[in-house]
Amino acid sequence: MTRALGWLAVVGLVAGLVMGFAVAPREVTQGNVQRIMYVHVPSVWVAYVAFAVVFVASIVYLARRAEGADHVAHASAELGVLFTGLTIATGSIWGKPTWGAWWTWDARLTSVAVLFVMYLGYLLLRGMIDEPERAARYAAVLGVVAALNIPLVHFSVYWWRTLHQPPSLMKPGGSSMPRVIVWALLVNFAAFALVYLYFLARRVRLLRLEAEAAA
Amino acid sequence: MPDNWGFVLAAYGLAALVLFAYWRRLIRREKELSASMPGHPMSAPASRTPLE
Repeated sequence: MTRALGWLAVVGLVAGLVMGFAVAPREVTQGNVQRIMYVHVPSVWVAYVAFAVVFVASIVYLARRAEGADHVAHASAELGVLFTGLTIATGSIWGKPTWGAWWTWDARLTSVAVLFVMYLGYLLLRGMIDEPERAARYAAVLGVVAALNIPLVHFSVYWWRTLHQPPSLMKPGGSSMPRVIVWALLVNFAAFALVYLYFLARRVRLLRLEAEAAA
Repeated sequence: MPDNWGFVLAAYGLAALVLFAYWRRLIRREKELSASMPGHPMSAPASRTPLE
């Protein structure tokens, strides 16, 4: 099952590259540098999904004390940090030629940086506590609280005047982007989501194995 | 606006590198743990193929 998911993710990534480079056209204003969007945007969407999974799994853990839910939350938080880091790095690379700066303290960038640091803190908290049950409980509380930052990140471009553009796809009234660009974005999102699921399955299995080895 | 292919390459290259490094880390850790638990089902040869 995990193996099939892995190959599916590879196929998805290849399809994403074809859509991003061969099917999607050169953007009129930004030129080819806009193709960074097909990595940058799916990364942050998958990070949102990962943190939403942390939120749900943390609630399940607090309600039932199920070790499996804790493993899912832990693995998903790690992947959320990975994809948020990728979002920040690719955004920075995209920002330099389009904005003229690698980084600026605008609302969207700052709120994403805060999100990144919060979940990095979540992982550090887990690593700092030796007793697994206590680490899981504290992390679950943080996993619920930290999720409150996700809407803040998404709506930051509406609530404050920012350099970062507002959403082009997930916005009231529907997307204003050409259909081919939307499809390229969705195919890349599907590919990144498959990569996330594959990594999640492997990481959860690894956490289970680590727990067995420690027992 | 110039196409800035260098930036495009850097973004895609970085993404590929990060995902590949994370995948390698998972594989390596899994192998280490499997080796330390010889009787465990996870240490069976079939589960040590790259994408499984």
